[in-house]
Amino acid sequence: MSAASGPTPGFDRQGELGDEARVDAAMKSFVREFGVTAALHVESCVRCGQCAEACHFYRATGDAKYTPIRKLEPFRRAYFREAGPFAPIVRALNLVRKPTIGELEQWQELLFDSCTMCGRCTLVCPMGIDIAELVKEARHGMFKAGLVPERLALMDRAARQWGSTATPGEDLPDILAEVSAEHGVPIPCDLPSADILVTAAPAELDAHTKSLADAARILNRIGARWTMHREGFDASNIGFNNGDLALQERLTRALIDTAVKIGAKTLLLPECGHAYGAARWEAARWYGDALPVRIIHMTEFLDELISSGRIRVNRIGATATFHDPCQIVRRGGLEAAARRVLAALGFELIELQDHGLTGYCCGGGGGVVSNQRAAPLRYKVFDLKKGQVEATGAEHFVTSCGQCRITLEAGARNAGWDKSPESLLELVADNLAD
Amino acid sequence: MPTIDVNGKPYETDEEGYLVNLADWNEDVANFIAKAENVEMSENHWEVVNFLRKYYDEYQIAPAVRVLTKAIGKQLGADKGNSQYLYELFPYGPAKQACKIAGLPKPTGCV
Repeated sequence: MSAASGPTPGFDRQGELGDEARVDAAMKSFVREFGVTAALHVESCVRCGQCAEACHFYRATGDAKYTPIRKLEPFRRAYFREAGPFAPIVRALNLVRKPTIGELEQWQELLFDSCTMCGRCTLVCPMGIDIAELVKEARHGMFKAGLVPERLALMDRAARQWGSTATPGEDLPDILAEVSAEHGVPIPCDLPSADILVTAAPAELDAHTKSLADAARILNRIGARWTMHREGFDASNIGFNNGDLALQERLTRALIDTAVKIGAKTLLLPECGHAYGAARWEAARWYGDALPVRIIHMTEFLDELISSGRIRVNRIGATATFHDPCQIVRRGGLEAAARRVLAALGFELIELQDHGLTGYCCGGGGGVVSNQRAAPLRYKVFDLKKGQVEATGAEHFVTSCGQCRITLEAGARNAGWDKSPESLLELVADNLAD
Repeated sequence: MPTIDVNGKPYETDEEGYLVNLADWNEDVANFIAKAENVEMSENHWEVVNFLRKYYDEYQIAPAVRVLTKAIGKQLGADKGNSQYLYELFPYGPAKQACKIAGLPKPTGCV
């Protein structure tokens, strides 16, 4: 292999829509998203630039185009042209130009390659603009226009056909039987009735099977009545990342409906970040009612088991630092839970310079890890994290999201760095006390 | 992005060696990728690779390994629709390796 002669634009398209129709589809969708909140947000930016300093993509490159609020420019234009109080005048005088197809293609990179929807910009915005959420809404328009990175579109098509990006549900029993045999731990599948419906991240059905086996080990230890189920097993939600709202709803419903069907009171989510965002915090919106089942992340589950004394763990007695997955901590609120589990494991925690609510994203969230062409940018972001981890001098580097782990492992490989992130779940399972 | 040179022509690949553009694929490219993977292409290999191209044409996705095995079993017979046969042909995974040679994207999973 040799290096290419120069960068080639990798703007991907899906479907057969003409250029004009794509722009119109995007604009129509943008406008439909404009509730009072979005309109207020678009109107209230004071151009202070704090979101740039907060963004890992800007920090890692120094390139002004990565300023978070700027990623919403087509969205902003749609507002002023079509929905704002002076829209007819703005349109008549063309005060704000309609985006061109070329511009939307440029924005594909800004919205999908260089934003992980981690919400660090949202956190620092003095006007309270939820930039990360608006990016998600803008992605919806891009999806409607057939302008998303092809790798993400491929995952979307797979999930539409299989109900999962990894495998059709009908193959789940075989996969679980293999994982079960490989790790020597029973994993119940398709039980007609259970208290806990356990879900997985796709990687746990492939490269990270140890995580799944470890969850099983802990659930079996406490004598839980639990099962996985072919009708709702994949907690990841590519619809959430792609702005494919119909798919997001379908995948969310599959989980909740399956839990209800088997009479489960708890839906346990794996160590996955966006699964938590999609299932814990957005599910009710798609379900259309109060959730009939308690949805918890693996970290909460471990924390509760340890705090209530249902499991005990051996103390490792070493130093550790913790990478806070953005969807679980900043956007999900589980900052303290992970730290209580780390303390129970006897770790002396040395925090990263930016941690907890203000921790930097791994660089792979929001589908960026899947988007091959974003790899060079992701590696630059990785340097930020690597520097902060090294500065702690900690012996262990722990996190609670499989996608963060995959991103950080790829970054470490690329940088020739010998540290690799450990899973909080695996540490607990490996150190269960009798 | 990395490229591979086949017959003096560069073809873009991703960092794992999968072709970026589906339309770039031809038999020479397939042979080149297979060689880099230490796969000696036989008639049986081509049968799977061609099957995959047709599968992608129809479904627009790259099949997961179990899906591939079942689909091959249905079309080419049970003696070929089993993982032992397919792993013998493509030791690093019939789905991943055969997709790479067929010029398809990597089958999806978590990433």
